Amino acid sequence: MSYLHLSFYAAFTLSSLGLAFHRTHLISALLCLESMILSIYVALTMWPIQMQASSSTILPILILTFSACEAGTGLALLVASTRTHGSDHLHNFNLLQC
Amino acid sequence: MGTALILNTSTLLTLIIITSPLFTPLLSNTLTASPTHIVRTIKMAFMLSLLPMALFTYSGADTVTLCWEWKLITNFKIPLDFKIDQYSIMFSPIALYVTWSILQFATWYMASEPHITKFFHYLLMFLTAMMILTTANNMFLLFIGWEGVGIMSFLLIGWWFGRAEANTAALQAVLYNRIGDIGLILSMAWLATTTSTWQILPPTEPGTTPTLPLLGLILAATGKSAQFSLHPWLPAAMEGPTPVSALLHSSTMVVAGIFLLIRSHPMLTNNQTALTLCLCLGALSSLFAATCALTQNDIKKIIAFSTSSQLGLMMVTIGLNLPQLAFLHISTHAFFKAMLFLCSGSIIHSMNGEQDIRKMGNLQTALPTTTSCMTIGNLALMGTPFLAGFYSKDPIIESLNTSYLNAWALSLTLLATMFTATYTTRMTLMVQTGPTRVSPVNPTNENDPAIINSITRLAAGSMLAGLLISSFTLPIKTPPMTMPLTTKTTAIIVSILGLILALELLNISNTLTKPKQTPWANFSMTLGYFNPLTHRISSSLSLGNSQKLALSLVDLSWYKKIGPEGIASLQQTITKSSTSMHTGLIKAYLGTFALSTIILILTTTHL
Repeated sequence: MSYLHLSFYAAFTLSSLGLAFHRTHLISALLCLESMILSIYVALTMWPIQMQASSSTILPILILTFSACEAGTGLALLVASTRTHGSDHLHNFNLLQC
Repeated sequence: MGTALILNTSTLLTLIIITSPLFTPLLSNTLTASPTHIVRTIKMAFMLSLLPMALFTYSGADTVTLCWEWKLITNFKIPLDFKIDQYSIMFSPIALYVTWSILQFATWYMASEPHITKFFHYLLMFLTAMMILTTANNMFLLFIGWEGVGIMSFLLIGWWFGRAEANTAALQAVLYNRIGDIGLILSMAWLATTTSTWQILPPTEPGTTPTLPLLGLILAATGKSAQFSLHPWLPAAMEGPTPVSALLHSSTMVVAGIFLLIRSHPMLTNNQTALTLCLCLGALSSLFAATCALTQNDIKKIIAFSTSSQLGLMMVTIGLNLPQLAFLHISTHAFFKAMLFLCSGSIIHSMNGEQDIRKMGNLQTALPTTTSCMTIGNLALMGTPFLAGFYSKDPIIESLNTSYLNAWALSLTLLATMFTATYTTRMTLMVQTGPTRVSPVNPTNENDPAIINSITRLAAGSMLAGLLISSFTLPIKTPPMTMPLTTKTTAIIVSILGLILALELLNISNTLTKPKQTPWANFSMTLGYFNPLTHRISSSLSLGNSQKLALSLVDLSWYKKIGPEGIASLQQTITKSSTSMHTGLIKAYLGTFALSTIILILTTTHL
């Protein structure tokens, strides 16, 4: 595949593996999610240009809107859990489970 | 050419003379406008306004004077122009004559008032606004005059503002007038968008004007002239001083609504729906006011309801498509109604502030001039042949009888005419004759030229005005000339019936042991239960509904329940029930995620 395809393919794979393997802090998971969304965004921008399907040009903008909402929700959850649990360590989250 | 010049200049000069006492004190400290000075100014303005009236009577000429134009946009210019036609030319001398007498009377009535000069200035400002209204050629100037008279009415009704009832009455006047103003603004907006001018013109195609702007005008007249649904402010307006009641609420301000309909006659003339609405509304108001006046005990309220009833009669005339006759009734009504108010003012001061007719009696011996003029005024009001009221009231009843019309409106109007005779006779007999029910010590004195001259001047007007005006004006529409004898004498017969009824009732009530409360008497005494019903229900409904709309609907429902809080509560119910099922093995979950990613890499890359 071309170098362009390699770049966002690799970015997506690395971010998803980072999401799976860094289980200490919640914020690292959120950062990996952000980079996944970013690589998808770049891919979606390249696709209509290379396929000459110009009516799909709006698709990356829509994805961007939803990703912004999702990032905001994630950060709100981060703040809320830090308030209740004192930190964002993931292994604290099932301490109060009954 | 010369005629038009004299008409224009004398009318404009009259207007300037009327406003001059208002701004001469601003020019110099030595030029003060004392009440006697103002009376003399108005007398001079009256004499001057006789000139255009004589010229109009001789030549029939009318003019429109354009002073300045507000060039708003290219297509819509608002001129400052005065229409000097038969209505404004005839109205000016009559209004100035009545105002002259009222102001002369007010120099005696308000003599102990510390702010008497301010009072006179308010009356002058009112008169200026009324003159602007009558000489306006377009709706913009008319609206300026309309609002001006409304505001001055508010300030003058609440003159004794220390009294709570006066403040309530002034507020009532302004609110009811405002509801009428909605109609006026509606028709102004329609005129501006459809005809691109604010002048009142006949419809262009030989059809009818759409009913919507005419409904707006009728609503405006209902508010300003106290027709049935927007009437409570007029009896409440009697809280103001008697000169205010005489000037505003009998002769000039309340006829502004009828005057608007007279001016809009070219638009109204073909639209039968609007005319029928005017007819029925006028007949209903006339009868309702006459019914309420039957059991009133306050002398000023009886005269106020009498005014309301005559305004209904004027509305009926508009509904019969006879604007000139309505204007004739406005003119003759101004004389005797103002005189009745001035007589009542003289009586009230002589009784040391007592306004209840049950505490007056036998005033013929104590106040001879006042009571004789009161009798003249009452007879004119009843339509006694050849006094002023006869020349306007009788043709109205005759036209009503001989036209192709509404039997309900006819019967209501005839019943109202009968009640007019009844309550005026009751008032006359209880005030002037019978045993004396006043306290023994009374400052009964009418020996002041201010009272005598003003009241007798208006009495002369009440006797002669009808004859003079109807002799010198040419009717636009042919009056009905032939009718059966009973139809011709309907008004007289009905009034005589009312008079006999009043005499009979007063004879009976002399020997009553206890007062009778029948449903009809209760209806009349509580003014048709209208005031408590509408004042309570309308305010509680609108405030309650607006609270429901603003707080419950918008704030709680739309901003909270359907939005964030509703979704949050929905999610919380599900989350609470599924929390117990979570095992929290994040390592396992994310491990499957990593496994899927590795499998994806291995299978899709071409290794």
